[in-house]
Amino acid sequence: MQTSLIDIEDGSTAIIISITGGKIVTKRLADLGLKSGTQIKLIRSTWSSGPVQIEVCGSRLVLGRGLASKIIVELK
Amino acid sequence: MTGEDRINIVLAGHGNTGKSTVFNFLTGLHQHIGNWAGKTIEKREGTLYYNDHIIDVLDLPGIYSLTPYSVEEVISREYIIHQHPDFVINIIDSTNLERNLIFTLQLLELESPVILALNMIDLAKKKGITIDFQKLQSILNVPVVPTIASQGSGLTDIIDQVIELKGKKSNHSNPKFGKEIENCITRLTLVLNAIVPQYPARLVAIKLLEKDIDTTTLVRGKYPEILERAKQLCENLEEIHGHDSSVVIADERSHLASQITRETERITPGKKIMLSDRLDAITTNKFSGYLVMILILGGMFFTVFSFGNWLSGWFDTIFKDWHGWWNTNIGTAFPAALGWSAIEGVLALVQIAFPYILPFYIILYALEGWGYISRISFLMDNLMHKMGIHGKGCISFIVGFGCNVPGCLSCRIMESKRERFITAVLVTLVPCSAVSVIVFGLVGKYVGLLWALSLYLLAIVVIFIAGKISSRFITGEPVELIMPMPDYKMPQIKTIIYQTWDALKEFIFIAAPIVVISGVIIQAINLAGWMPAISSFLSPVTVTWLGLPAITGILLIFGILRKELILVMLAAYLGTTNFSDVLTSQQMITLAVVSMFYIPCVATISVLWKEYGWKKAMAICILEILFALLLAGIVKRILDFVF
Repeated sequence: MQTSLIDIEDGSTAIIISITGGKIVTKRLADLGLKSGTQIKLIRSTWSSGPVQIEVCGSRLVLGRGLASKIIVELK
Repeated sequence: MTGEDRINIVLAGHGNTGKSTVFNFLTGLHQHIGNWAGKTIEKREGTLYYNDHIIDVLDLPGIYSLTPYSVEEVISREYIIHQHPDFVINIIDSTNLERNLIFTLQLLELESPVILALNMIDLAKKKGITIDFQKLQSILNVPVVPTIASQGSGLTDIIDQVIELKGKKSNHSNPKFGKEIENCITRLTLVLNAIVPQYPARLVAIKLLEKDIDTTTLVRGKYPEILERAKQLCENLEEIHGHDSSVVIADERSHLASQITRETERITPGKKIMLSDRLDAITTNKFSGYLVMILILGGMFFTVFSFGNWLSGWFDTIFKDWHGWWNTNIGTAFPAALGWSAIEGVLALVQIAFPYILPFYIILYALEGWGYISRISFLMDNLMHKMGIHGKGCISFIVGFGCNVPGCLSCRIMESKRERFITAVLVTLVPCSAVSVIVFGLVGKYVGLLWALSLYLLAIVVIFIAGKISSRFITGEPVELIMPMPDYKMPQIKTIIYQTWDALKEFIFIAAPIVVISGVIIQAINLAGWMPAISSFLSPVTVTWLGLPAITGILLIFGILRKELILVMLAAYLGTTNFSDVLTSQQMITLAVVSMFYIPCVATISVLWKEYGWKKAMAICILEILFALLLAGIVKRILDFVF
């Protein structure tokens, strides 16, 4: 099932299907190793509109909520 | 030794890779911190004397990409392309090979000789990561040196490589993209060769496909037909991949990095959860995270203020006889009195810099080195977003509580101009240690601690509302938080000392001239006997609107120099330190409210001026004066009912 990164449970692993943000942000994310096909793990999120902490290629990254909502993933 | 023997190397890499540690180790005391021409970005240079060689080392800003997204990235890229350093030492966090390699690939595209330093190899080992660096070396065709910068291990190996390879032609191979992209690159390089001689043709081709603005402008001027061709190729790529061509290239690079990582890295998953992960779970948890943050920040402020009050009191006892000595030996005539006010300005800076700013920075950099600062950004992003900025802005606020000057300077960590400016404006509203002296010395002592604390609450509400308003009126897209979360690690004492020293030096250089000059000017006005005229001129505001004694007009003018002068001068003018004899509770609260917001101090104004231009600096001052008077007048009228 495809869903947004902010809608999956803390601790679950997923594969990025697509990134629906603008090209600048998409490129930025690619520079940090986030692209379609990348496996990510949602470590934890904070309160309602707070950022999410993810693990990608063995290291941690924090993404703002709005940005995370544009990352479409499929649960593994 | 001749100048030609000098070797010129630059350190490049992500933040948190131990780059500063490497720089400090290599250059030691032979460092020079300046600014990049025309920019407020720090430029760190140093010299290493090694055997018979002189090596100039430049520490580029910690960046995540060479795509011009921030000023730091543009600076770094331009430097490497135009200044042709002998070697680019790419410092890599070995625990994080894949992400770092994406940057390495971008460096290699610039076709400068690169040496890879696989730093923190010890931490990688602890995490169960082994990197086959010989294989990595053969894939990338650049020297790869494992290092542990915190122990200085491996760093001389890098320098040995530099000396050995100097003058030899680097034979690194360009990282190859997928077939379609390589096709486009080849087609472009064929036409580009020999046309744009100052850049490598392949680089220009890649940048054109990436629609890099600077490169496009460069080519457009002279060879519009090449640009047309590039445009066509971009469209082809976009048709095949369904994305913007710049994204396609970035994606490919990222894929290439994953592929190289897969070939060179083995991970044996550790059985026990790392201490860092456990700490992370506690410090970023929805509940305990905030509790820990309050404890840590509370502890930080408590430590800074208790140490500061102690040291500042100690300075007081030392400096207290100096004025008397000056008066008897130099005199109290006009020039002598002006001379004294200049000295007083310097002493005032010493009294802020060492007791408050020094310990503040030490703790701040220790927390940063440990990795905690990123956790604060994570926890506070939510709230900061409501003010139109993101989590990193919180750091500037925290610094601002110590002193607004470094607070405004630290806004440089914000990515966009818009974020930087909004954050700086909000920082000027944060009650700094000098304002705290007024709030606690006046309201806290004579009206009640609860009243003092509610003034802080008022400040937070004001900052929040100001954030809401300014984010609406200052145009530009809000930037989302994208921040690597470093593992917790032992902070390096040496690095903390260097960082603190740099920050303290910057504070003194920026603040000192303006504090001294404006101190002398105000003293001159005072000696000319114009102060009573000024205070009666201001009395419609101070007396009629705010209900304060007329004398406060003068105090507020002196307060621009340093906020706590308001309290010091109040005691001097009224001839008593028992303020309850001369001011009612209501007046004390009103005066404290005005002092909190009415204008940034001169040192802060000078930073705003330097970073954002005089127009914006003046606009902030005028708006804040009007706002503070309005707010304090309203507060006074509300208090009429309370007292």
